[in-house]
Amino acid sequence: MKWFKNTLRDLYANRIWLMFVLPATIWFIIFSYLPMIGHVIAFKDFRIHRDGFFASLWHSEWVGFKNFEFLFKTNVAWEITRNTILYNLVFIFLGLFLAVAFAIGLSLLANKKLTKIYQTGMLFPHFLSWVVVSYFVMTFLSTDRGAINSLLSFFGVEAISWYYEPIYWPFILVFMAMWKGVGYQMIVYLAAIVGIDRSYYEAAMIDGASKWQQIRHITIPMITPLMMILTIMNIGRIFYSDFGLFYQVTQNSGALYDVTNTIDMYVYNGLTTLGDMSMTAAAGFYQSVVGFALVIITNYVVKKVDEDYALF
Amino acid sequence: MKKFLLLISVVLSFSFVLVGCSDNDTTEPGSDTTNTETNSDPTLELYEIKWYAIGGPPQDLDLVLDELNPYLKEKINATLDLEFIDWGEYDKKMTTMITAGDKFDIAFTSSWAANYIINAQKGAFLGLNDLMDQYGQDMKAVIDPAFLEGAKIDGELYAVPVNKEVGQQSVYVFNKRLVDKHNMDISTIQSLEDLEPFLKMIKNNEADIEAPIAPFSPYLPFDYILQEKLPFAVNMDGDQAKIVNWYEEPETMETLKTMHKYYNAGYIPADAGTNENATYDYQVENWFVRKEMYQPYAELLWQRSGNYELVVQPMHDPITFNNSVLGSMHAISITSDNPERVMMFMNLLNTDPFVRTTIDKGVEGVHYETLDSGKIRDIGTVRSERYAVPTFALGNHFILPLYEDDPEDKWESFQTFNDSSINAPTLGFVFDTDSVRTEIAAISNVAEQYNKSLMNGAVDPEKYLAEANKKFKDAGIDTVIEEMQKQYDEWRKAQGK
Amino acid sequence: MPKKANNSSLTLTNGYTPYGLKGISNVILSIMMAVFSFICLFPFIYVIIISFTAEESLIRNGFQIIPDSWSLEGYKYLWKSQGQILRSIGVTLFITVFGTLLSVVMISLFGYAISRKEFKYRRLFTFLAFFTMLFGGGLVPTYIVVTQFLGLRDNILALILPLVVQAFWIIIMRTFFIRSVPEAVIESARIDGASEIRIFMQIVLPLSLPAIATIALFSTLTYWNDWFQALLYITDPDLYPLQALLSKIESNIEFLKEMKLISGLQAGITIPEDSAKMAMVVISTLPIALSYPFFQKYFVEGLTVGSVKE
Repeated sequence: MKWFKNTLRDLYANRIWLMFVLPATIWFIIFSYLPMIGHVIAFKDFRIHRDGFFASLWHSEWVGFKNFEFLFKTNVAWEITRNTILYNLVFIFLGLFLAVAFAIGLSLLANKKLTKIYQTGMLFPHFLSWVVVSYFVMTFLSTDRGAINSLLSFFGVEAISWYYEPIYWPFILVFMAMWKGVGYQMIVYLAAIVGIDRSYYEAAMIDGASKWQQIRHITIPMITPLMMILTIMNIGRIFYSDFGLFYQVTQNSGALYDVTNTIDMYVYNGLTTLGDMSMTAAAGFYQSVVGFALVIITNYVVKKVDEDYALF
Repeated sequence: MKKFLLLISVVLSFSFVLVGCSDNDTTEPGSDTTNTETNSDPTLELYEIKWYAIGGPPQDLDLVLDELNPYLKEKINATLDLEFIDWGEYDKKMTTMITAGDKFDIAFTSSWAANYIINAQKGAFLGLNDLMDQYGQDMKAVIDPAFLEGAKIDGELYAVPVNKEVGQQSVYVFNKRLVDKHNMDISTIQSLEDLEPFLKMIKNNEADIEAPIAPFSPYLPFDYILQEKLPFAVNMDGDQAKIVNWYEEPETMETLKTMHKYYNAGYIPADAGTNENATYDYQVENWFVRKEMYQPYAELLWQRSGNYELVVQPMHDPITFNNSVLGSMHAISITSDNPERVMMFMNLLNTDPFVRTTIDKGVEGVHYETLDSGKIRDIGTVRSERYAVPTFALGNHFILPLYEDDPEDKWESFQTFNDSSINAPTLGFVFDTDSVRTEIAAISNVAEQYNKSLMNGAVDPEKYLAEANKKFKDAGIDTVIEEMQKQYDEWRKAQGK
Repeated sequence: MPKKANNSSLTLTNGYTPYGLKGISNVILSIMMAVFSFICLFPFIYVIIISFTAEESLIRNGFQIIPDSWSLEGYKYLWKSQGQILRSIGVTLFITVFGTLLSVVMISLFGYAISRKEFKYRRLFTFLAFFTMLFGGGLVPTYIVVTQFLGLRDNILALILPLVVQAFWIIIMRTFFIRSVPEAVIESARIDGASEIRIFMQIVLPLSLPAIATIALFSTLTYWNDWFQALLYITDPDLYPLQALLSKIESNIEFLKEMKLISGLQAGITIPEDSAKMAMVVISTLPIALSYPFFQKYFVEGLTVGSVKE
């Protein structure tokens, strides 16, 4: 009872803040927490019932972890997990490095007009769908008409069947991912850098600090919390992959599967024939749980190092 | 952390309350079994039939429904609310709606969009046997029995097939200008190997044509189970009682070797199998031979878009496969409130020329006009611009009027085609994947990995077929084939074979 | 609010900044940036060229920087459906503007609250937001919420509401608030007797313009690019956003590629030619890409405002 009273008092004391969070909280409940019931499908053998979805859910049989088996009882389980994690690690850290580097670079340019043009240019890839991008990549890598093979033959080098040669693809995929994402990721860092109080730099300049020293001792430390938090959040998505990148850009070429098969690809290719809702849901649940665990661990470690950098 | 858990449990309980509410809203007491209100006259109350069809939404749809609805009201006291969902979106949207338990009456279903077997097995569609006997006698009489039998799952029909060509026939289509120019006698072509001299001639003499073959997967004599690329089939030239991995059959190796030879000789575009964007439309004459699925007078259709003549050479007699039977059908949803009326409507759709023609061609006098000969003609471009709908996905073909430039015997030819079609060995056999789903997911991935490049001739079958088969083994193909054989044997026994 | 200008107000006059690089390193950096932004822009140039290329030339030769024959067919095709396109532009503009406003309000309110140490439940609510990033609701349950609970089928709100909040943006916003709003400013305002709402509106928000511009930009991009909500919830062509039109074309092409059983001709499927598709890409992309400088302005303004504050 006392606990209840205290809680009431606390709630009242925080009423202003609760009002602040109320609109988005209602949104979260309606659009995120209510639909989470759907995860139950992963543990059921989903059958349709004439009284609608909830009746279907209710009447479907529990099957425990049976729907998860296909993710583990396959001889490529290791391969797809490895590919997904390795690509994501590269995407996260290279993406972080490039986004920060470009943001700092742009903030340093003297000509602000040019800066704007560059920035706008870098954002363009974000607008093109992977389908359109795959057309474009094909014009470079096509075996008989591709620009690169034409160039190679000009130098007397034999043409390469790009879509049959797995060794090149880790690089191509990383390049494409960076190409598409860096302009977008950079925006956050740019905004953060622009928001840094100018007086820090003025003080540093008076002390005779070089540009490089200013970056190292002012810019980077100031945006480190942001870098940390974005990275922690990205780690939560480490079991997901950008399906369009791996499916469209590679033209879903089977010869490349050793290096392009990720969890999402496997689930897509494996379940189109079966059309099994429950197995799809199981894959999603698995990805979420692993991501969740990783984030909790990362956050715990970060918190040990410096409380300020932690997410929660 | 305790509080997080508390919060989550609050949210969850809140949501379950809502679930409970919605459950109560929709559940009528004792409605576990499907509607059985048969004693009263089912046409007593006006009923609106919701029908989801596949295809780009036409602009004049409302106009057409306004023309149709008074007639339907008079006939069966129902009106039609037809909605088209675009090609590329149909499968995703229908699957979502079905899973969400949306209320509707009719859905287009097939082997390639809103999958018939998967949805029927999941319980999304109503069993139609009794309903059809009661309210669909007329259409039962006109629809080819091969359709009605082939579409049954364990003896129950879950959708009404569109009455059209029942069989599948792969044909080679040639560019007639080139055939005539080089005096080719294409009627001698019996197999893929027979193409070689012709391909060579084109390759050597036609600079305009980079590769004479517009990429295709070669015809193989298999009756595929589940999906073409999956390694399960019955060899139609071999033991018809046995399920095999068709990737292991000698015919496959032979044919794919030929494909690979053609690929190396430059008869097949180098990008075949990897360039998903390349188009080999009829519009541009950058090809010599291609493969198509035939129906009577299909060449007239194909010719129309290219404005040059084509010749056709069949690869085999028409065969009625599961997939050709399940090519286009209409199911009644389990959520339908008045299946009887819906069945009455489907009966009209397949037997009443006015209903069928209006849905297909639009309003007479607006979209098309009837000539004295009884044939029809589009009025200007009104129909093609404002009411272009896919005929094959809407209902019985044989009660449609002919166009003025259609051959007189069009529907008779269809009839002949259907009569000549041979039943494939597994016609009507539906494999229940339940116990081997994990294996099938893995096998699908292997098939996805090897099928395209092998079938397009891009890789050496000697090496890659062996590799694929090894991976199929690792993925558990033996278990699946064993289970499949068991079910197939039972099915054959039940069929009295 | 202190109005005195300090010595840093000399920044950003005549495009010169004392914080920028000078001389050769500036040139090198400039060139590096120029190269990368050209790589980024190039595919779009390619899209534009295809949109002006004759179809015949595309089928025969594939893409060329300078095509054999040019053509306006792609744009003529779009012109034929100008009514639909104009309406769709209207829909897209409406959902983008309205959605972004709503989004910025809800996100900054929430983000600010969880950035304040005085808020006892800040960790709880941070987690509440964060958790949704990892465990999304499935497609079907969300569909049911929108269509059955909220009854928003064929309602423009169905294009707006599901995308209003993203936990990711909230967390970014929170980080910005923690970093860029000096505690002292807020304290002194409190001592002056300002209410929390007033502090938020009159002090915190102006100080956080770069962050708000960032979130507004993200939200704008999200609304502009979204086609999936339309796929699920909209059947009335009057409510199709621009990207939904484009994605319909794309998905129809994908579908035809997958579907070998029935040829497109038999099915009566008409697919616009590549040039028309690319013309569509141009029309749906160019306006939003060119609106970016508008947001950039606020990054820069944020800078000057920020420098006045201390």
